[in-house]
Amino acid sequence: MRTLFRTWLRTLVVQASWNYDRMIGVGSAYASIPLLRGLPKERHREAMARAAQFFNAHPYMAGMEVGAVARAEYEGLPDEQIRRMRHALIGPLGSVGDRLIWAGVLPAAVGVGLTVTVLASPLAGVLCFLVLYNLAHFAVRGWALRAGWRGGHSVARELTARGVQIGLKLLGPIAAFSVGLALPVVADWLASDFQTRLRFSIASIAVLGVALSRWIVPSFGGLRFGLVAAAFGLLAGWLW
Amino acid sequence: MESWVWLLLWGTVVGLDLVSVGQVMFARPLVAGTVAGMIVGDPIAGGTVGVVLELFALDVMPVGAVRYPDYGIGAVAAAATAAGAPGALGTGVAVCVGLGVAYLGEVGIRMVRSRNTEDMRRNRAALEEGDESVVIATHLRGLLRDTLRSVAVTAAGLLLAAAAYRWSPVTVRGAVLVTIVLVGAAIGAAAAGGMRLSGRGLALRWFGLGVAAGVVVVVML
Amino acid sequence: MSVVLVRVDDRLIHGQIVVGWVQALGVKRIVLVDDAVSGNEWERELYTLSVPPGLQVEFASVAEATEMMAEWMQGPDRTIVLVGNVEAIVELCNGTDQIEKVNVGGLHDATGRTQRLPYVYLSDDEAAGLRALGENGVEVTAQDVPTARPVALRGFT
Repeated sequence: MRTLFRTWLRTLVVQASWNYDRMIGVGSAYASIPLLRGLPKERHREAMARAAQFFNAHPYMAGMEVGAVARAEYEGLPDEQIRRMRHALIGPLGSVGDRLIWAGVLPAAVGVGLTVTVLASPLAGVLCFLVLYNLAHFAVRGWALRAGWRGGHSVARELTARGVQIGLKLLGPIAAFSVGLALPVVADWLASDFQTRLRFSIASIAVLGVALSRWIVPSFGGLRFGLVAAAFGLLAGWLW
Repeated sequence: MESWVWLLLWGTVVGLDLVSVGQVMFARPLVAGTVAGMIVGDPIAGGTVGVVLELFALDVMPVGAVRYPDYGIGAVAAAATAAGAPGALGTGVAVCVGLGVAYLGEVGIRMVRSRNTEDMRRNRAALEEGDESVVIATHLRGLLRDTLRSVAVTAAGLLLAAAAYRWSPVTVRGAVLVTIVLVGAAIGAAAAGGMRLSGRGLALRWFGLGVAAGVVVVVML
Repeated sequence: MSVVLVRVDDRLIHGQIVVGWVQALGVKRIVLVDDAVSGNEWERELYTLSVPPGLQVEFASVAEATEMMAEWMQGPDRTIVLVGNVEAIVELCNGTDQIEKVNVGGLHDATGRTQRLPYVYLSDDEAAGLRALGENGVEVTAQDVPTARPVALRGFT
């Protein structure tokens, strides 16, 4: 149990050596160290070598691979089978995690945080956001490693867990609603300092931004649009 | 301790949270900016620039490994710029600083990732052999590189903030103009991000419903 | 046509597909073309479980896909055809004249490969295979997510 907890702590830094060749492979090997220590010497070397190979996943779901592969190592599965299993987990752990967290919990919690910031205070908004988000975050992280360790080679079954399937179904609409709700509330709050004429300018620039991102140059991205807007604004502000 | 030391410390924590350590979302600009605002004694200014940068951040789709703006450290620098300036005057210039620093942080991440890749290539033989000590060493060197990046980007951001605060490049009217342009751009970026997040199916209807509910909230209050 | 994307990606179905492309293109079905996966029940189950509700996943070997391609092109459901490696996409394109565009999404480090783009690693044979597709009139570009700029074939082979 303590070994599993030490492994879990290490999964918190699974992305710290992110690189193009192996992505989070070495991170996942680093996280596996406490769990793999009980293997006989020769098997341990082989297991480490396999664990450090190319791997990628959603960072919160990486524990599932760490646990499942460690279990398979203890069961003495052949080299080729473990490699294939590891490779096969990359896509599913990415798509489940990305949809559950990046396209689900995160935007949902951000929307709530923004709305509370406007209606109450920034501090209340930040606290709401952090608590809501991290309840889900740590539940997923804790479940992932335990489910992997429990499931071993049949870890796919663990993905049918009720919580995961319900989350996948509901979080998309919840996130969309939450971000949608926050938009007018925040826009109104930010524009409240300005006269009607200036609010109209803000709205026009926002529409231009949406058009640019949706139809004209989708690859431009919010940051670059912001930087160009900033450059124009500063130049005009300086000349004016 | 001087508040800039705390800001440097907070910026480093925020930079590490983005990718390497924990990802408990201290790196979201709303969080990073508000806390930085509290450090410099102006949580409202920090919260405001945090909200604007958060809107920009909603546009990022974190599934591609290629672009990763560091809005968190950007928000720390922006809060440091905005602190003390009255309302709309400070927001625009501060958000400019924030966007610039976010871009700097993104460039830094690419540099760290390239160095990590070179490190892995140098140690390829040992990694293929399953040498545990090399796994630990290469991993911790990656962590060290990201720590250095976070310190360096935060330091650069705070210098930029001090410079912008001291030699504000624009007049009062200009500052209002910059704020208007950037608030508009931020709302546009967030709307585009929200629409992309919702796709075309059921979720898009929920997005529309959310916007409608938001409008009702605005009208009622 | 109803095949809206033909993509080579060694991670097959992952976040960039289900969050990025499926949303952007309004896709209803993914056909996963990979001999190893279509012959392995465990892996088929894994991929089926990882997609959103309302999205259909089918599996095919390269040979089956070659035969079915024309039917998928005319079918009613907007479809992504996802191929796991360069060898398979070359075989598929040579077996059918239905494919006009190929998207290279992600091919990662392995023995004999060198880095061409942050997310594209190719061996010399694989690069030659993709160039040959290009010479046969297939438009081959690299692009990881819908919001990224596509990179032309000569930029990465």
